[in-house]
Amino acid sequence: MTFRQLAYHNVFRNRRSYAAFFLASVVSVMVFFVYSMFIFHPLFEEDGLQVLAVRGMFIAEVVLYIFTLFFLFYSMSAFLQARSKEFGILMHLGMTKKQLNKLIFFETMILGSVSTVAGIAFGFAFSKFFFMIGREIMELESLPLYVSWQPFALTIGAFASLFIIISVISVAFIRTKGILDLLQGYWKVDEITNASRWLSFLGFLLLAISYVLASIVTDQTVYTMVLIIPPLATLGTYLFFTHSVHSLLNLYKRRKGIYWHKTRLVSLAEASVKLKDSAQMFFIVTIVSTVAFLTVGTLASFMSYTGDYRESNPLGLVYISFDGNGKEVEHVEALTAELEEKELAYDLVPLIVKRQTSTFTGNDVDIIRMSEFNRLATSLGFEPAYPDRGEALFIPYSKESLKELGKSQVQTELMESGVELSIDQVYPHILFPVHTINFNSIVVNDLDYAAIDEPLQGYADGESTFTYYAFDIPSWEETVAIGADLTAQIDKAVEKEDFSGLNFFFENPGEDYRWFKSSFAILLFIGVMVAAVFLLAAGSFIYFKLYTGLERDRKQYLLLVRLGMTEKELGKIVNRQLIPQFFLPWIVALLHSTFAFISLQVVWDEFAELSILGEMVLVLAGFTIAQVLYFYLIRWRYIAHLQAS
Amino acid sequence: MPLLKIDEVTKVYEGKVTHRALNQLSFEVEKGEFLAVMGPSGSGKTTLLNLISTIDSLTAGEILIDGINPHRLDKNELALFRRRKLGFIFQDFNLLQMLTVEENLVLPLTLDYVPVNDMATRVLELAKRLDLTPILHKRPNEISGGEAQRTAIGRALIHKPAIILADEPTGNLDSKASKDVLDLLSRVSANEGATIVMVTHDPIAASYCDRVLFIKDGEFFNEIYGDERRQTFYQRILNVLSLLGGNVNDLSATRLP
Repeated sequence: MTFRQLAYHNVFRNRRSYAAFFLASVVSVMVFFVYSMFIFHPLFEEDGLQVLAVRGMFIAEVVLYIFTLFFLFYSMSAFLQARSKEFGILMHLGMTKKQLNKLIFFETMILGSVSTVAGIAFGFAFSKFFFMIGREIMELESLPLYVSWQPFALTIGAFASLFIIISVISVAFIRTKGILDLLQGYWKVDEITNASRWLSFLGFLLLAISYVLASIVTDQTVYTMVLIIPPLATLGTYLFFTHSVHSLLNLYKRRKGIYWHKTRLVSLAEASVKLKDSAQMFFIVTIVSTVAFLTVGTLASFMSYTGDYRESNPLGLVYISFDGNGKEVEHVEALTAELEEKELAYDLVPLIVKRQTSTFTGNDVDIIRMSEFNRLATSLGFEPAYPDRGEALFIPYSKESLKELGKSQVQTELMESGVELSIDQVYPHILFPVHTINFNSIVVNDLDYAAIDEPLQGYADGESTFTYYAFDIPSWEETVAIGADLTAQIDKAVEKEDFSGLNFFFENPGEDYRWFKSSFAILLFIGVMVAAVFLLAAGSFIYFKLYTGLERDRKQYLLLVRLGMTEKELGKIVNRQLIPQFFLPWIVALLHSTFAFISLQVVWDEFAELSILGEMVLVLAGFTIAQVLYFYLIRWRYIAHLQAS
Repeated sequence: MPLLKIDEVTKVYEGKVTHRALNQLSFEVEKGEFLAVMGPSGSGKTTLLNLISTIDSLTAGEILIDGINPHRLDKNELALFRRRKLGFIFQDFNLLQMLTVEENLVLPLTLDYVPVNDMATRVLELAKRLDLTPILHKRPNEISGGEAQRTAIGRALIHKPAIILADEPTGNLDSKASKDVLDLLSRVSANEGATIVMVTHDPIAASYCDRVLFIKDGEFFNEIYGDERRQTFYQRILNVLSLLGGNVNDLSATRLP
């Protein structure tokens, strides 16, 4: 047996304890590789969606790299700690510190290269599958599999550097201990659990404060709160697991009437030792799970935004022509021609909008006449509005404005033309997309409309009116690429920040919708994979803790069986030990996420005005089911191992 | 020149309560001698062995092994010293679970980068002598306690150390396995001139040795030399132990067969 074989045996004959850790590393490499395959895809162009996908995946790769670095670092140091007795024996037999470092370096590199190779192999095998998903999301003609050295080089380079860093750092962790300490081993923690009462209280307090703060967040405070709450909650979580839980258990233990009762004595004493021992791990698992929930939850809530899109954008195409636009007719004809070419049914309603100043607010108001407005409304399937002379209806531009305008009553005069209006109603549907109309827009009776004969103050006659071409297209999602040259002209002007030559405005909500939907789907696709790695890593911590404690647990159960404990009672004890280990971090993470989503809802309300409750419940329920399954899997293996002896 | 020289060795554990584990203990071990160190629990036996093993530090005094004072060496030299000069046998065997019996045997050579061919020949020869050949490819959890301890003895012998340190080698074995292990140790000492220092509770184990050193409360108490008949040596050991006092449970109630 050579020195290298020793390292090899150490890894491969301990493969069962490395299993979960290995799985998490392999999946991390695999996801990283799949991202790289997308990033280096030769068919990707400098197009909006694909740029977004590439950038998103690049950021995800960085996140993955940093996370994997921390995950491996933590796992490796825990592994090395658990193996301290073995290292003690080796050093007792005359292994030098340098040789020990070399051994650990070899072992880490073996693990690293095997997981990198396995990860890349799986990644390459499944990349066609992921390309298919990506092709669907980005609506590409085809996204074929390709072979290039780049993704391989990036993945191998990234993970080789990562494992080298890990092996160098983790070596430092056994540096200070003497051989005698090492020989005594890892499981010398069965001491009485002392918890500081003050810190326990502080843990609860911090958690309570952050929950309360999270639930009372408002639009104004949200940005400060984003800075305050996460550190508070993180510290609170840490203290909760290191102190508060133990104080609670100690309180419970002090009441002997409850504590000294059947299996409770054993299971509680065991639980408190395990909880103390794994406090830091629970803390990390909780934080990692919370981040995973939040990532997927947030991205899922983007998806609900797209669900809301149609309601606020009922028009298929919008073309607005301003004064001096010589190509008005040409543009509109081109648009209709394109629609006909694609065989899309449409109804074009031109609205001539007049602008006046309201004496009530002093702002300018866009005025649409009843007959034109009703043509559009009936075309869209909404009821018409009939304001009498001297009356008007507000036109809402968003759901929120619908509520607010419904409450307001205004007596005003259109200053330039002297038309008096009383406005006390709002039209109950959104017809125009939010930024295509003035916030102050009203529908008036045709007679009042005709009475508006003076131009807006400070403007010439023509400048004070514009034509709004509203296209009602029932199959509005099919309008992708219609009016592409108009969009290109607008994009060009936006890029140059020069709108002087632009006498029209064009919007294609159908295309925008597709774009939103695809980009959110891409983000969700990226996020779910990262979250999967996070959750697998969190699971592997728990698996590892159970596994390293297995030998000790087995001896203990053997003793209990000898003392006369029945199989059924044993099952009970196992449950009571495993359930807190699995579900305590889980529950805390769920609570954290719930309150984080409450705050998130506030932020969302500001932007998009929609409820994310449905999506959140779905996401959290999905994760819970996965965790329960994982619990049963591990419980089954654990009991099998316990009874093996 | 003695192979092992313990000179006025003192070990004090600092802590909340300062504890003097060894107090000005002096003795010598000649080359090829099989020495047993006996004493009640807490008399400082294991501390003494840890000091000779170089894994614990001295408070005062000097230890010379083969003319070298290991406590003057730096960490690296110390590891090399342990690797080449010392062999260890433990109460709980301390075999590495993921290695086979064969791999455990060659471990000290592996650490010293001995060529694989040398290792293979030495392990075969040793396995034959220790009767380990049939179990060479088994893992430590598949063999009996006696086999495990024989493996550990093999591991302590394979690199031909200057001195072998044994800490209660029969503590976890039944009487048959104990007898095998002790026979083996005394044979190794007599035939190959190996120097062995064995710490033990067990007067039967001690009766296999050339000399028994008794310590009490960290100080030298008495020493007796073995004679032709183990039976009488055993009786004399018991006599000293009864003088030594300590815990009655430490004494084995069984007599020699």
